Amino acid sequence: MDSLKEDLKKQIIEQLNLEDLTVADIADDALLFNDQGLGLDSIDALELIVLLEKYHGIQLTNPEEGKEAFKSVDTMAAYIRKRKAA
Amino acid sequence: MKVITAYCNLRADECLVNGKVVARREVGSEDSWFKQIYKQQAWVYPKFYKMDMLSQAGYLASELIKRANPGISEAYSDDEIALVFANASSSADTDRRFIQSYEGGGSPSPSLFVYTLPNIVLGEIAILNKWYGENMFAVLPKFVPGFYLDYSRILLASGSRALLGGWLEVTAGSTDVFLFMVEEKESGTEFNEENLLHLSQTVAAY
Repeated sequence: MDSLKEDLKKQIIEQLNLEDLTVADIADDALLFNDQGLGLDSIDALELIVLLEKYHGIQLTNPEEGKEAFKSVDTMAAYIRKRKAA
Repeated sequence: MKVITAYCNLRADECLVNGKVVARREVGSEDSWFKQIYKQQAWVYPKFYKMDMLSQAGYLASELIKRANPGISEAYSDDEIALVFANASSSADTDRRFIQSYEGGGSPSPSLFVYTLPNIVLGEIAILNKWYGENMFAVLPKFVPGFYLDYSRILLASGSRALLGGWLEVTAGSTDVFLFMVEEKESGTEFNEENLLHLSQTVAAY
C-alpha cells in the first residue's frame, strides 16, 4: 500500500472534518470535487491548500496547478512527489 | 390566530421536543453532545460535521421541529417561512477558535472562518430546506419574547406565512437553545409573550 496516499486520506479526513468517512471509503482515484466522489466544495479546496502546507511543506500558489493536483488522492500524491523532487 | 405549532429545547444534557425528551446526553461518550443527537436520529447530512456548534444546534433543533411537524415544507412556498434567530454571544466561540487556528504560527482555517458570523446558521437551514424567505439574526443581551412578537408582526404582514424563531446561545460552557414554529391555525398554543417565555423554560417531566 502507498503510505503517502494512506497518509493523505487520513489528513483529508482530519483537515476537512469528514467524520463519517474512513480511509477505506476513499478510493485513490475518486474525484474529490464530484458528487459521485467526495463532493467537496470551495471551502474544502482552501483547506486542501492549508493541508499541503501544514503536512507537506508545499505552498500552492498557482490556481491552475490546484485544479489538476486536487482531482483525486492519486493526483495529490503525484503532485507532492513532483514538488519534493524538484 | 398565530399559534406555536412545535418547539424544541436543547440544553447541556437533554433535548426536548414539544416538552418530551428525545435525547439525553451520554456521559463518557467520545462523541460531542450534538454529535450524539445527530447519530441517535440517524440523519444523513455529512455537512453537519463541518458546521460550528451554533450551526449544528440550529440544524438539530430545526430538523427535530420538522420531524414533529411533518409536511411543514410542503405547506408553504419557498419564500413563505421566515427565520428569526437571536443570541447573546454572537459567534464568539467560533471567533476564538478561528484566532487560535493561526495564533501559533499556523494557517488561518478557512472552514472556521466561514462560521465567524452568527447568521451563518440561518444560511445552513435555508440551504438545506430551500427556504428563501426573510431571515435575520439579532444579538441581544438575553432572550426577550417581545422581540420575536414585534418582528413577526412585520414579517407576517409582508408576505411570510410561517416563522421559525430561535434563541441559540451556544458557548463552550453552556447550551441554551429554544426553537419554535409559528403558524396560522384556528386553535393551539397562542403565540404571545407569556407562552413563549413559558415554553422556553420547559423542563422534562420525570
